[in-house]
Amino acid sequence: MSSFILRPLQFLVWNNLALKARNLLRFAETEADGGRDIARAAELTSDPVLRRLFLRHAKDEQRHAELFRRRGAEIMLALPPDARRATNTDWLTPGERGLDDVKVRRGGDAPLLAFLHLSEKSAAGDFAVYRQLLTQDPDTRAVFDEILRDETYHMNYTLAQLKRIEPVKSRRRLWWARLKRLWNGYLRLAGALAGLISGVVLTLFYFVILPLFAWTAKRAEQKEPPGWRAVEIRDPAAMKGQY
Amino acid sequence: MKILGVSAHYHDSAAALLVDGEPVGAVQEERLSRRKNDAAFPLSAIEWCLDEAGIEPAELDAVVFYERPMLKFDRILTSALRAFPWSWRSFPKAIKNTLGEKAWVRGLISSQLGVPGKKVLFTEHHQSHAAAAFLTAPTREAAILTADGVGEWATMTAGVGRRGPEGTSIAIDREIRFPHSLGLFYSTFTAFLGFQVNEGEYKVMGLASYGRPRFADQVRRVLWRTPDGGFALNLSYFEFQTTAERSYSSRFVDLFGPPRSPYEPIDLQTEDGRRFADIAASVQLVLEDVLVDIATDLHRRTGLSDLCLGGGVALNGVANARILRESGFSNLYVPPAPGDAGCALGAALYADRIFFGQPDRPFPDHPFWGPKIEEDALAGWGAEDGLPTERLSERELIEQVADELVDGRIVGWMDGRSEFGPRSLGARSILAAPHAAEMRDRLNRDIKYREEFRPFAPVVTAEAADRYFDLSEGGARLGRFMSGVFPVRPQWRERLGAITHVDGTARVQVLAADMAPRLHALLKAYGRRSGMPVLLNTSFNLAGEPIVNTAAEGYSTFRRCGMDLLVAGRTVMRRRHLAPAARSEATA
Repeated sequence: MSSFILRPLQFLVWNNLALKARNLLRFAETEADGGRDIARAAELTSDPVLRRLFLRHAKDEQRHAELFRRRGAEIMLALPPDARRATNTDWLTPGERGLDDVKVRRGGDAPLLAFLHLSEKSAAGDFAVYRQLLTQDPDTRAVFDEILRDETYHMNYTLAQLKRIEPVKSRRRLWWARLKRLWNGYLRLAGALAGLISGVVLTLFYFVILPLFAWTAKRAEQKEPPGWRAVEIRDPAAMKGQY
Repeated sequence: MKILGVSAHYHDSAAALLVDGEPVGAVQEERLSRRKNDAAFPLSAIEWCLDEAGIEPAELDAVVFYERPMLKFDRILTSALRAFPWSWRSFPKAIKNTLGEKAWVRGLISSQLGVPGKKVLFTEHHQSHAAAAFLTAPTREAAILTADGVGEWATMTAGVGRRGPEGTSIAIDREIRFPHSLGLFYSTFTAFLGFQVNEGEYKVMGLASYGRPRFADQVRRVLWRTPDGGFALNLSYFEFQTTAERSYSSRFVDLFGPPRSPYEPIDLQTEDGRRFADIAASVQLVLEDVLVDIATDLHRRTGLSDLCLGGGVALNGVANARILRESGFSNLYVPPAPGDAGCALGAALYADRIFFGQPDRPFPDHPFWGPKIEEDALAGWGAEDGLPTERLSERELIEQVADELVDGRIVGWMDGRSEFGPRSLGARSILAAPHAAEMRDRLNRDIKYREEFRPFAPVVTAEAADRYFDLSEGGARLGRFMSGVFPVRPQWRERLGAITHVDGTARVQVLAADMAPRLHALLKAYGRRSGMPVLLNTSFNLAGEPIVNTAAEGYSTFRRCGMDLLVAGRTVMRRRHLAPAARSEATA
């Protein structure tokens, strides 16, 4: 959805080679991370059907990571060296974000399936938008084509399996997973805002309070010659303190 | 007396438990959380250690944290002040990072484990490294050298350790302090060469063999020797003390040229590829020269024949072998976990032997302190997923797996308790025939998905090691935990093509029968068939994942890559439609 709203901006991003390369490489990392989480789910589930499906899914994610990485690297390496360090566009790429740092736990198959279903659905939607914008780049478009086919399968199997293992509560699970995604989004936003505020406060503190201490510290540093320094043997009783 | 050691918060967190001076268990958090280099407070590792001993946290006599958090905070704050005003961007991050959790360790341990704060003790970071190196080594008196990125203030320490009926002492008498650090020096080049810091240092070492040290003089401008035999970094080439974004400065780039993008393959046919290899060779040479010099001086000062080496820098096997060869020490002991994870064990040992003054006792000379493999589950998964699985007798297992290896099959091998430390030493390994270079390529392509220039390591029986590898005096000991790189004897290089690096060397594990009897028996059986009791031994994991721990993780890895056989204890699982190898005739 967000990709649809941001479509004009996405058009600019996906038509800029450096930003495109960066996005693809970031997707590669996300797919690889997601694959590891799903492999972990396969290791922990006691359901043999889910184990087989999760293992296949994990392998798919591994393959996607390689497809994204290869294409991203191709584009990046074709750029002049100065252009390779593109602007950070993480905020523009809601595609997949791994499993949102989901904690894969034993006995947590149903919540995980609900979560995976929504993640895959969201990713498929975003990837479809990106694919449409890549009219001038058949190679990258082919990568999205291949991955989208798998995403559709992942979306379907996760829903089918959720209905199989929790036929009565599956809808409730999905709503709960949607709320959790929203909550995680809020936490991310709140965390970023808190980080920004504390950063500003500490930067002010740095320039207002620290200069005098900095001057003292610099003077002290000049008296310390580099190389070996003798160490006093410390009393073992010092182990009681953190200092 | 029950003492828990904990290391956490920077990389590689871990826990280790001693009961009456004997180790009960030690494990890195990443092996349980399945997040590589997990730096989180190691709650799972602690719980596992306590479960293994069957005790509750309340029964612990002490919990020892591997460094002094407030002293570390002092260093972070002072460094920011010294770099004023250039540290304005890193200062908020550093303060938030430290004051968030890392500074309140006593409270954290107390609240997480429910132990009173007075039971929480602190060692210094390099004391933990020194204890991990000295108190686990089979020696009574040794010089000790530790080197890593940075602990509180120290980045390198030297001293002497003594143990015996009269008590234990670790007397660190000199140190080099931050920002002058061999670990940070090497890590800066690791980042410059496009590899991940704290992970890609092995790659720099591997790449170095492809280059010529034509940048050595430039590197010596970056790291210079002080008149007292120490060293110092020329800080105008570094930025790690002012920013978290980049560790090298623009001046560094002027000196060595543009850095490598992590996504750029290293092609040694290109000028840039050769430049990167030459830089790696140069930084490796300078590191070795400094370490050899310092170790030689330490030998002269102490007059001792044994050296215990600790800290992350001790993972550099090429430098270790040179120290052993050139410094004058007869024996060099490097523990299986010389990095920060090993500090959990070092901190516990330091508290036991020195703070509590418990009697000295020999430390079991092996690295297997992690969880045990539970093979029974594997047969169930095999049946459910239609994979042929069988439980064999000890003899059948060894003979059959040896046959498979001779046939060119790749085997995932899980046996007993897992290793503590970054290396697979025979408990969680991928094994393969070491002869053809094609095997190396197949492993890289189908299983490890890693750069072509990285070598694979061999494991060889202790009895035959000297026949194939040119181990210097004390080399077999250094090879016990795969801590040294030695030349493959020229006449065997071709037949050991999969494990011989481009410079004719190998990071060999010299396996004594008492350390891993089953793998030793397998090597001998393989030797009877192939004429060489040598196997390729690489860590049992996929790229980006920690080494496997449980049978489930081994199974999942087996299913996701091109491995042919999975062995857990005496249970063997085969890939579907893979016929067992024909029985070979023993040749020797």
